Amino acid sequence: MSDETNGAGERFAIGISFGNSSSSIARINPEGKAEVIANEEGDRQIPSILSYIGGEQYHGTQAKAQLIRNSENTVAYFRDYLGKDFKSIDPTPCHNSAHPIQTDSTVAFSIRDTESETPNTVTVSEITTRHLLRLKQSASDYLGKEVNAAVITVPTDFNDAQREALTAAAKAAGLDVLQLIHEPVAAALAYDARPEATVTDKLTVVADLGGTRSDAAVIASRGGMYTILATAHDYELGGSSLDQIVIDHFAKEFIKKHKTDPRENARGLAKLKMEGEATRKALSLGTNATLSIESLADGIDYGSTINRTRYELLSNKVFAQFTGLIEQVIKKAELDVLDIDEVIFSGGVSHTPKIAQIARSIFPEKTQILAPSTLTSAINPSELSARGAAIQASLIQEFETEDIEQSIHPMVTATPHLNKAIGVEFTSGDAVEFLPLLNTQTALPARRVAQYNVPAEGGDVFIRVCEGSREIKVTKPEPKAKEEKPKTEDDEDDSDFDSDDEEEEIREVVWKTEQPIAELAVKGVKAKGKVELMIHINADLGLQITAREVGGQSAVRGAVESP
Amino acid sequence: PALPAGWAADKDFKAVGKLSAATQRNLEPVGPHFLAHARRKRHHRTFSEDERI
Repeated sequence: MSDETNGAGERFAIGISFGNSSSSIARINPEGKAEVIANEEGDRQIPSILSYIGGEQYHGTQAKAQLIRNSENTVAYFRDYLGKDFKSIDPTPCHNSAHPIQTDSTVAFSIRDTESETPNTVTVSEITTRHLLRLKQSASDYLGKEVNAAVITVPTDFNDAQREALTAAAKAAGLDVLQLIHEPVAAALAYDARPEATVTDKLTVVADLGGTRSDAAVIASRGGMYTILATAHDYELGGSSLDQIVIDHFAKEFIKKHKTDPRENARGLAKLKMEGEATRKALSLGTNATLSIESLADGIDYGSTINRTRYELLSNKVFAQFTGLIEQVIKKAELDVLDIDEVIFSGGVSHTPKIAQIARSIFPEKTQILAPSTLTSAINPSELSARGAAIQASLIQEFETEDIEQSIHPMVTATPHLNKAIGVEFTSGDAVEFLPLLNTQTALPARRVAQYNVPAEGGDVFIRVCEGSREIKVTKPEPKAKEEKPKTEDDEDDSDFDSDDEEEEIREVVWKTEQPIAELAVKGVKAKGKVELMIHINADLGLQITAREVGGQSAVRGAVESP
Repeated sequence: PALPAGWAADKDFKAVGKLSAATQRNLEPVGPHFLAHARRKRHHRTFSEDERI
């Protein structure tokens, strides 16, 4: 494919995740695996911050350090301002750095980015370009080859103006945006592209817990193709909410000792923010973390420790907000926790062990919780979207621009999805059981093959293909505990505990046949044989069904016309 | 399941119903399987034609 070069010359693409708090760059290494690239400072999560002193530009962690001494010439948290109207933005995250101002219809910052003392007005697009330029430079330096194209991840609620502004800003940085992909889908792709992963039909919840905002999405993955069923956003919830808890905790301790509030002094607050964040991150790894700040307020040095239990106690409410967002998005998709096959934790805050543990208790046991604290083979949540972008970049970088545009055109993406599951009904005596083969929300056309055991004695086999729907069956245990109560004291305690346990209703998924589609008969099947059934559904809802004995010669086939 | 007595159909196949309406949704244009789908759709190929190439 590589000899199909287009006029634009050779493309060299990477994946970029561009966030409000931090950004990452990733590529596919020669072994074919996605790998996040560290910048020259050794950071893989590069703070999306730019700072200027005496005309010199600082980026990433170096710029972040400037938030204390040089906050007015430091630009941070600007991703969500791109392509937006000034009136529609929330300037809260920028309180402690350069403030956004209005210029024409766009958002800008007034900063001294040259050697002169008079500040310049720099638009958010320009800031983005400078930021992407640095990312591009870091990647090019690492790879020893000029990077000129990228796949960039964006939130699901990014509108067309924001997409256009980002593409233009990247273009100005010398990066050809091959495609903008959605962050949750990138995270799902990062997991599904692992060599040990198999393509299955599943429902995934991606919880992207960021620094200043958190997003959740329900994705139906059918035959390796993704469809977003619902999204939920919280623009005030993120790592900064947790940082605030740590900051308040230490500030109160400081007040008790020294009678001044370090939060009232801008520099003191900036120092607390910086160190508080580091302490919060340390608590995700260890059970104890220290905080020490030189000259926090009134020239007093301050040092203290906090343990994880204490932190989790203080943060309980915020943790519940994170899991509440997950529950909210499932509800929005009109689904139940029982329907969810896996939960992918993405974003920096996903390192917090307690959040994954709370999620573990919400979901049934079969649901996979993909977070470092619940699964040892989990991918670093901070790297997921950059890796997904790198995988997508490697898939499409050899395509011609026109091919990419045509492929992602709505004509191609708009696809009918099955409204009801299709499966096979099994009758044994009075019991009717339905086994789904193609689940709801499967994109059409689709084809599935399954093998079923035939009755032990063999003979003629009857297959009934039906539409079915899933229901949540709630079984409430009978309140029988009360009768048993009047007994000895010891017993009473026991029965109390039991009744509490029993009162928890049992919820399960049951499948119900809605209407039959086709009936087939496979005759003369050997004992203990298997029957293979293939269902192919066209985009116009017509079906072709084929059934044959495994290893047998003849097949039964037929078609059902589209409605 | 065993064949019920007295069931018969032409070539052992009987269509008894049709699918209910589908929902129109947008696929995410990401991943190898989507790209394969896009290729089929743009060239109006079926699964088996695609496999042969």
